Amino acid sequence: MAYEALDFYDIDSLLSDEERMVRDMVRDWVDEKVIPNIEEACRDGVFPDEWRVDLGEMGILGAPLKGYGCPGLSYIAYGLICQELERGDSGVRSFASVQGSLAMYPIWDFGSEEQKNHYLPRMATGEWVGCFGLTEPDYGSNPGDMITRAEDKGDHYLLNGAKMWITNGTIADLAVVWAKLDGVIRGFIVEKGDPGFTAPEMTGKHSLKASVTSELVFQDCRIPKDRILPDVKGLKGPFSCLNNARFGISWGAVGAAQSCFNSAKEYALSRIQFDHPIASFQLVQNKLAWMLREITKAQLLAYHLGQKKDDGTWIPEHISLAKMNNVDIALEIARMARDIHGANGILDEYPVMRHMANLESVKTYEGTHDIHNLILGRHITGIQAFTREFTE
Amino acid sequence: MTIAVLLKQVPDTTSKISVSGGRVDESAVSKWSMSPYDEYALESALQLKESGGGDVVAITCGPARAAKMLTDAAAVGADSLLHVLVEDLNALDSTQVQAILAAAVSHCSAQVVFCGKQAADTNAGSTGPGVAHLMGASCVTMVSEVASEGDSFTAMRASSGGDQRVAVSAPCLFAFDKGTTELRRPNVRGIMMAKKKVAETLGASDLGVDTSASSVSVDSHSPPPEKPPGQRFEGVDSVAVVVSKLRDEANVI
Ligand SMILES: Cc1cc2nc3c(=O)[nH]c(=O)nc-3n(C[C@H](O)[C@H](O)[C@H](O)COP(=O)(O)OP(=O)(O)OC[C@H]3O[C@@H](n4cnc5c(N)ncnc54)[C@H](O)[C@@H]3O)c2cc1C
Repeated sequence: MAYEALDFYDIDSLLSDEERMVRDMVRDWVDEKVIPNIEEACRDGVFPDEWRVDLGEMGILGAPLKGYGCPGLSYIAYGLICQELERGDSGVRSFASVQGSLAMYPIWDFGSEEQKNHYLPRMATGEWVGCFGLTEPDYGSNPGDMITRAEDKGDHYLLNGAKMWITNGTIADLAVVWAKLDGVIRGFIVEKGDPGFTAPEMTGKHSLKASVTSELVFQDCRIPKDRILPDVKGLKGPFSCLNNARFGISWGAVGAAQSCFNSAKEYALSRIQFDHPIASFQLVQNKLAWMLREITKAQLLAYHLGQKKDDGTWIPEHISLAKMNNVDIALEIARMARDIHGANGILDEYPVMRHMANLESVKTYEGTHDIHNLILGRHITGIQAFTREFTE
Repeated sequence: MTIAVLLKQVPDTTSKISVSGGRVDESAVSKWSMSPYDEYALESALQLKESGGGDVVAITCGPARAAKMLTDAAAVGADSLLHVLVEDLNALDSTQVQAILAAAVSHCSAQVVFCGKQAADTNAGSTGPGVAHLMGASCVTMVSEVASEGDSFTAMRASSGGDQRVAVSAPCLFAFDKGTTELRRPNVRGIMMAKKKVAETLGASDLGVDTSASSVSVDSHSPPPEKPPGQRFEGVDSVAVVVSKLRDEANVI
């Protein structure tokens, strides 16, 4: 059976031909390459290199960026790409989010002309993989207090410190690393093989198993002076990257939820208990109706946010709401779908438990669920509640 | 060299087909796709163009919704698009469709035509040979591969005695069976380019084809009979019954 995406309010009719074609291209690729192979990739804990090549060939990395060999698609098209990738697996979407929004974007927005020309075309084709180093072992939700330091040594910079939980770290050819130079957060491009830089892989994850997660360790790591991103200072740098990645996640979560809904619906229609399909029982229908309702709301949220991204009328709080809500409902839908599958729900024959476990990471990274609540709380009240020290 | 590829939009092979009022209910078809054998024809045409130069014109005869399929063809590399707009293809008989397509090929000044050996909806298989006849072209069917050298072409085709290599020269038509390579996936660049390739849209009358009198009328469509439910046997006692059924009814042992 061809995958039929839940589209209760006919969002499809709002898309341009180009957006639909890009969506269908990625959808077909996910059906053909990701879904048949994802369980094996998870078991082996690898991100298949073939997927990197394919993503580059399709030309979807750094989707909304223009120039320097980047695709220049609309934000809605970028959202649709994330939605389809995450329907396959959050790990595949994570790869694309990190490459496009967290590694290419800061170079595109804050890099020098030389940096853009050097890195972006090769990153758009997937030849070079990037990662984004912000989180540290002791600083997750409050990256502003990071420890990693850069020192100006005249003809080079010297980096010291460690990053943790870095997606793509071990497989990356370059890392965009945020570190303090004279007490101010700055972005640096560190390349694989730079002296004093290592990126050991973290193991033992129960979530995002097909995505590579790493530490980045800098021990007197020397990098040339032209590797600093010249055009940004302070938390604005990393946060503007996160805005784009979070936007993609708000669409991606819809894809994961659609996958869980489809599986639950089909299972409920075919599973007979007490002589009837379980789909015929009101309690099960109530669950399916709730899923339909929440997915439809999430789609409308994502679509409208996409329009605001495209016409430039968005504020970061809009993105916080969509990321928080859509991941939240996707996780709840995954859990509910797991329940509808009964014991079968824990098997890798069905996608639901994998999505469920993945979404636990998605809930935490790119600003935890509650950090987004705090961002919205500050927006509503004008009072920040992140810290008791009122320093802002 | 211009290679014309004839493409038909059909219900996707995974779509459910429902019949209502003695007709296939087209509004209930969830997904329309390029007919699979046509995909092989298109891929082979693109490969031939890449190895030998020339351009590929994608031609379809069908309703407005088929425009999407032409754009898909543009996204993978078709250079130009011709849409002969016929709202109800079912109202035409095969010879009328062949006349339209042959006229469309001549409108594009193409001497070489690639198409599928049959469309996945009607499975009639008459279009390729019919168009070749009207063009006065050599016709090779059941083709899996085509290579060119100057004005001459060699095609691999399946025959009862094994694979056959057939040499023809233009004008010629190749009707594809399963080819050697599946249709390539588009990429973003191709999709962006496709936006700029606007299809030329004509009516049958613009091509001088009279579609008023179809010589065939379809009485009604009906779904295939439902498969009878399977039979289930349990326990050692049923072995003899199962064996006799397999031998006498199913004829498999
Ligand atoms: C699989 C995976 C991949 C990742 N990839 C990357 C990457 O590529 N790059 C990168 O830089 N980082 C990455 N991260 C890190 C991620 O961004 C952080 O985990 C996240 O920011 C949360 O930080 P933490 O884990 O230290 O949790 P903490 O900040 O310690 O939070 C723990 C809990 O406390 C709550 N909390 C914290 N502060 C407050 C407060 N003020 N008020 C109320 N509640 C609060 C949080 O909501 C959470 O529930 C990744 C994480 C995972 C799991």
